[in-house]
Amino acid sequence: MTQPIPEDDLIVSDWYRDFTNSGVGATLTKRLGLPRPAVLRRHEPGAPLLPGPAVVGTAGEGRLRDPLTAVLKDAGVTLLSPVTADGGTDGERTAAVLLDATGLRTPADLAAAHDFLAPALRRLAPSGRVLVLAEPPSEAADPAQAAARQALEGLVRSTAKELRGGATANLLLVPDGAEGGLAGPVRFFLSGRSAYVDGQVVTLTAAGATDGQDDDRPLAGKVAVVTGAARGIGAAIARVLARDGAHVVVVDLPAAGQALAGVANEVGGTALQLDITAPDAPERLVGHLRERHGGVDVVVHNAGITRDKLLVNMDAARWNAVMAVNLQAQLDLTQALLDADGLLRPGGRVVCVSSQSGIAGNRGQTNYAASKAGVIGMVRAWAPALAERGATINAVAPGFIVTEMTARMPFGTREIGSRINSLQQGGLPVDVAETVAWLAQPESTGVNGQVVRVCGQSFLGA
Amino acid sequence: MTRKAAIVGGNRIPFARSGSAYARASNQDMLTATLDGLVARFGLQGVQLGEVVAGAVLKHSRDFNLTRESVLGSQLAARTPAYDVQQACGTGLEAAVLVANKIALGQIESGIAGGVDTTSDAPLAVNDDLRRVLLQVASARTVQQRLKALAGLRPGQVVPDLPRNAEPRTGLSMGEHAAVTARQWEIGRAEQDELAVASHRNLAAAYDRGFFDDLVTPYLGLTRDENLRPDSNVEKLAALGPVFGGEDGTMTAGNSTPLSDGASAVLLASDEWAAARDLPVLAHLVDAQTAAVDHVHGGEGLLMAPVHATPVLLARNGLSLQDFDFYEIHEAFASTVLATLKAWEDPAFCKEKLGLDVPLGAVDRSKLNVNGSSLAAGHPFAATGGRIVAALAKQLHEAGPGKRGLISICAAGGQGVVAILES
Amino acid sequence: MGSAAPGDAAGRTELASAPSLPALFARAAVTARGRGGDLPTTRLARTGVRADQQQLAGYARVCGFGLSDVLPPTFPHVLAFPLQVALMSDRAFPLALPGLVHVRNRIDALRPIGTGEALDLEVWAERFARHRSGATVDLCASVSADGAEVWRGRSTYLARGATPPDGAPEAEVTVEVGDVPDGTIRWLVDGDTGRRYAKVSGDVNPIHLSGLTAKAFGFKRAIAHGMWVAARALAALEGRLPAAASVDVAFRKPLFLPSTVTLATAEVGGGWDLAVRNADTGAEHLLGTVRPR
Repeated sequence: MTQPIPEDDLIVSDWYRDFTNSGVGATLTKRLGLPRPAVLRRHEPGAPLLPGPAVVGTAGEGRLRDPLTAVLKDAGVTLLSPVTADGGTDGERTAAVLLDATGLRTPADLAAAHDFLAPALRRLAPSGRVLVLAEPPSEAADPAQAAARQALEGLVRSTAKELRGGATANLLLVPDGAEGGLAGPVRFFLSGRSAYVDGQVVTLTAAGATDGQDDDRPLAGKVAVVTGAARGIGAAIARVLARDGAHVVVVDLPAAGQALAGVANEVGGTALQLDITAPDAPERLVGHLRERHGGVDVVVHNAGITRDKLLVNMDAARWNAVMAVNLQAQLDLTQALLDADGLLRPGGRVVCVSSQSGIAGNRGQTNYAASKAGVIGMVRAWAPALAERGATINAVAPGFIVTEMTARMPFGTREIGSRINSLQQGGLPVDVAETVAWLAQPESTGVNGQVVRVCGQSFLGA
Repeated sequence: MTRKAAIVGGNRIPFARSGSAYARASNQDMLTATLDGLVARFGLQGVQLGEVVAGAVLKHSRDFNLTRESVLGSQLAARTPAYDVQQACGTGLEAAVLVANKIALGQIESGIAGGVDTTSDAPLAVNDDLRRVLLQVASARTVQQRLKALAGLRPGQVVPDLPRNAEPRTGLSMGEHAAVTARQWEIGRAEQDELAVASHRNLAAAYDRGFFDDLVTPYLGLTRDENLRPDSNVEKLAALGPVFGGEDGTMTAGNSTPLSDGASAVLLASDEWAAARDLPVLAHLVDAQTAAVDHVHGGEGLLMAPVHATPVLLARNGLSLQDFDFYEIHEAFASTVLATLKAWEDPAFCKEKLGLDVPLGAVDRSKLNVNGSSLAAGHPFAATGGRIVAALAKQLHEAGPGKRGLISICAAGGQGVVAILES
Repeated sequence: MGSAAPGDAAGRTELASAPSLPALFARAAVTARGRGGDLPTTRLARTGVRADQQQLAGYARVCGFGLSDVLPPTFPHVLAFPLQVALMSDRAFPLALPGLVHVRNRIDALRPIGTGEALDLEVWAERFARHRSGATVDLCASVSADGAEVWRGRSTYLARGATPPDGAPEAEVTVEVGDVPDGTIRWLVDGDTGRRYAKVSGDVNPIHLSGLTAKAFGFKRAIAHGMWVAARALAALEGRLPAAASVDVAFRKPLFLPSTVTLATAEVGGGWDLAVRNADTGAEHLLGTVRPR
């Protein structure tokens, strides 16, 4: 009676995906021309980074080929030459296709990208990964170069939509001087941790090289705080952070204490019952972290509530409650952590949970979307200040994630919500958690001020 | 040389009214959940502690090893030893004293003291005659012997004995005893009701300011003590009829504790153990004293033993009754608290019964049960000690170093346990 | 009394076994009429009597004594009682047994008696006395072990309407008890208390067994055995009684079954004053004293 229910039991099974992947279902859905969502490759501790070989190509004279190759070799990835991938018939299917497009100078150079990608994608295995590395258009030498770089975004996003079988395509922008931070992001996008991250653009910033990390326990020795951790996505974040080696302080409302204690005991962490909107909440959180842990390495602002109503019908209470929990508390707690001398340790990581609604907007969620958009603004504004202390702040924006909350949605809404994305299925809390955990890693030091959507490339707000 | 045991923190589940939210929970369920909440609060998963000591007043025979079984079901290391104690309502505090003493002697470095009680899942005893017949049947070796034993049964013997909340040697319920004391000390109705209202008000305020955020873990959907009535007032209480002491009695359901279900636990440790784990030291358990009175033939109040224990404790520690920043006097009944206070102020009583030339004197009521007590929270007998120890330790910690608190808990059988905590 | 040994010079008759109480009560009932005259000088005796352990355990449980290796101070009465009844049911006894009311009982416990000790019992009747509503008689018992007296009992019974012989002394049925405050000890005395005590003591006097049988003898309901009330009161003081004590109790108002009563105790001179009262009316059922010897 004291054991928490495992998260998996709470998730409504994706009957459609299971059905379409069954023998009869597969035949039927194929004939009807219905989408056939794939079973995504997710991270399993101890598994190799990729289940098969990778192929690396270039468009123009790229500067990342060598560091990229080094990263892949370090991770034990077998590299195939593009030629084999292109024409050979004996080559196995590739698990990842990487394109170094840092050498682009004009749109004409994009032809090389096409020449490499087209045959390579044909040989891409299910749950394959396409990762294009380029430089930010904003740092281009001239308009032609900026055009070429920006064009990649259209290329990658469209590729992501064309891919099937759970494969994803993402774009990593690596400005000059940011090569040192390449390893972490590359590994993330190739790994099962990014299963539901698709069609995204992440821009690295120049940052000092890290000491490297144990990829199975990248957070070993770290202290992490997760708010709203009693259930759902928050509990999943706590589990993944703990799996990656962190001691997790799980925070939730006192009223959620029983479930919270269950999560804490499951992950070997500690429970802190705290209403984050209470006036003394920042002080109490700071005091707790200082007294019990002497500091904190990872802060995950996950707590959030919805109070949906059309704007014209929304009362002040609904508006204020959502703002207080979803935005103001994140501001106040972060400020307090930054103000507390030395509390946020060097290499600190702040990860804020935003939402697809904050990007695309959602009918009936003016308050929620406003608060979640506000989070994005906050993250971008704070990024430089955190960078100065060797810390980072980023946001993850979940799309349709299958949780207890979505299980209560009307059937139609839920089914549509879960299918209107490139992966044709809803994500799982663990997908959000994996992205949070990646942003929390030491090797994510070059990822700062970013908003990473975990939405399977949702059609909303894309 | 001995050291003082540190109180690191505590946990309890909200206390429920009898037959309500925890009606289906057993003592072991509640104690296990409470231990797990404590484990979660202090990251003790898989940790082997020195020992866990707890008990229940109303206990099933199957729960002979209640605490050990609870430990085995908890997230603590299975190698953590445990034993049960029972000193009626003094169980929880006595358990804390026992753990603290072993820590003080260096026999253990850490331990949990607790208590649990359910009046909803209380053992139902078979009629004594039936029980004897059944025992004979069980020990019979042949069918004939069994049948012979069963043949001795009569219909009247098959009726179960409902547990009576009565003192075995007097046949009086605790409330009736308290009513005798209330009459003896001329405790008025109004002052009892006022004390009850203060208890509710203080407990509600403590909840509202988040005081219990790190002392209570919700259980089975209950997030606050079920008996708590924040809107309680003297007018409402005045309307209640007496339940003890006859028609002109002063004790009502409003100024007496209700039957309750719940559990509590306190984490104690040496300073070194706490420091090594970056755990806080809220307060130290300085000293404790138990006493008993002869409520059967001595003409003394059943619940007045703490009155006798306190001067002994004070003398040993060179303290006066006024040398405390907070007082926690368990509110078995409002009249019990008031009679206790009155006795300490009474020169004749202090002289004749306590052998004191000068009475102990008055207690500053603004320092009494500042975060509410049993009248508002409820009183699952063995769980009350842990509730008080953890809450007082936190209160002292908040007040700053060097603050001192006195705990006084009366218990059935004419017993009392008192203790001093210091931050 | 078929098993009676020949009487000795002092009118002493020794019985080989305890007589059957139901049979004696029955015989006493049918021979109740036409009795009179003076008390017999007969003494009935038994030797080498040991307490039956099963009976003793039952007695202790019903009366509230703990089971130990020492007899409850009231238990020798149970051992001697059948002999006393045999004496009273004999045609030579001047008063009719049915209707006799136990009004006072004195016990001198001279030393603790081990449960396994072989005891010699002797009972006799004496002190035919005048009472305002009839006559009283004392049934006495002496219990010895290894030739030394260890226990004495004197039970005073009242026969309403009976006439004592001329020159009989005044009956002594009151016990002087000091001021005993209200008791905080309460007993819920169940309706089957008489039957339970009858089973363990052998005192199957019908007035204790049921409402119906009690009515036959003029009581509105069954009443508790006086000796049960006394034993229960002493049991409440177990552990606080002097090792050698004189117990003197007066049975006042009948304790109707069921009832709720209180026991009040006051420590006096190393012993106790006792009062058992009705919890509702305050009527006194028992007043008594316990004094160290």
